[in-house]
Amino acid sequence: MKIKHQKIIVTGLTAVVIVCALLFAAFLFNSGRPPYDKSLRGVAWFRFNQQDSLDGWEEKIFNGRVLYSVKDGSGKGYLNAYSQQAASGILRWVKFNPKKHPMISWKWKVVRFPDRKPGIFTDSSWVEKDDYAARFYVIFPRFPFFRLECLEYVWDKDLPAGTVLDNANFPNLKIIVASSGDKDLGKWINVERNVFEDFRKYFGKSPGDVGAIAIMTDADNTASTAEAQYNDIEVGYDKK
Amino acid sequence: MIKNDLRKKKYLGTAFQKKLLFLVFAAAVIPATVVALCLYYLIFNTLSIQMFFPEAIAVNVMPVLNRVNIIIAIAIPIILLIIWLIALELSHRIAGPLYRLEKELGEIIAGNKQGPIMVRRKDEFHSLAAKINKLILKR
Repeated sequence: MKIKHQKIIVTGLTAVVIVCALLFAAFLFNSGRPPYDKSLRGVAWFRFNQQDSLDGWEEKIFNGRVLYSVKDGSGKGYLNAYSQQAASGILRWVKFNPKKHPMISWKWKVVRFPDRKPGIFTDSSWVEKDDYAARFYVIFPRFPFFRLECLEYVWDKDLPAGTVLDNANFPNLKIIVASSGDKDLGKWINVERNVFEDFRKYFGKSPGDVGAIAIMTDADNTASTAEAQYNDIEVGYDKK
Repeated sequence: MIKNDLRKKKYLGTAFQKKLLFLVFAAAVIPATVVALCLYYLIFNTLSIQMFFPEAIAVNVMPVLNRVNIIIAIAIPIILLIIWLIALELSHRIAGPLYRLEKELGEIIAGNKQGPIMVRRKDEFHSLAAKINKLILKR
């Protein structure tokens, strides 16, 4: 084959590879996610006050489907999560630097806690105690993704607020009891956290960027029912 | 041409064979390692993103990852040994006849030997050996 033809073939193949790579990169980065409400204070604000408020949230189903729906309630909408022996969560990709904008806040209300057996925390079975009426995740992605770090804030009926649970199967996950008990059952509770300080406290190092937040209400392991409501999720703002 | 294998020693220790052995080994191991690493991270990374929630990753991905790591840790030394042996055989098929050619030419030049140079059936350089033998016979 003549050298000129070889050069043409090599150039052509190189051009095809470059175009394919650019298309693939465009596909990766253009997720087509709808924009979120611009927060008055920070990066993003999720109010769930319109029927399409769940657009842009992705659902991950693990064991049956939890019903996540936007409800209208006395002039202000909210996200309702109803789990009938099910476990699925919803996530939203939102990036911000917690060093610059460390605060996040949300409101949650527990309507019904999952039914745990008495003395569940003396049981060595991690699986069975892993049901919470309300969970709020702050995800710090890493490469590869299975090395991600996560702060998971939960509302637990039994454990006192401030308790931190480690997961032996996943050391990069810290479960923090942000709200506790059933005395506030049926009431909206406002939670505000400094994720930068929480990360430093529980992981012993400074965090990278937050990549996503997520919500889950589950009752599959206890084979019971749980229900919670969420609203006014605001992420990435400065402490007053 | 010799049909039977007269050279039992695969590793001759010549600089040429060492270089060839390293090249063949590297040519097999380096691309395979790159591809394997890319696949390893692509698969587990994609799976983890799909699972997303740490509890799901902990229950579904991490046990598989740990098991795969154990299998890889056991398999890699065995695979490397096999590749090394194949590389040794391939380098021997090239370095061996070159070594024999050089050695026998030396003996012919020194007058210690007259006959044609022999090469094994599976060795390289049959054509070269044949031409050298013609040259020797012309003398």
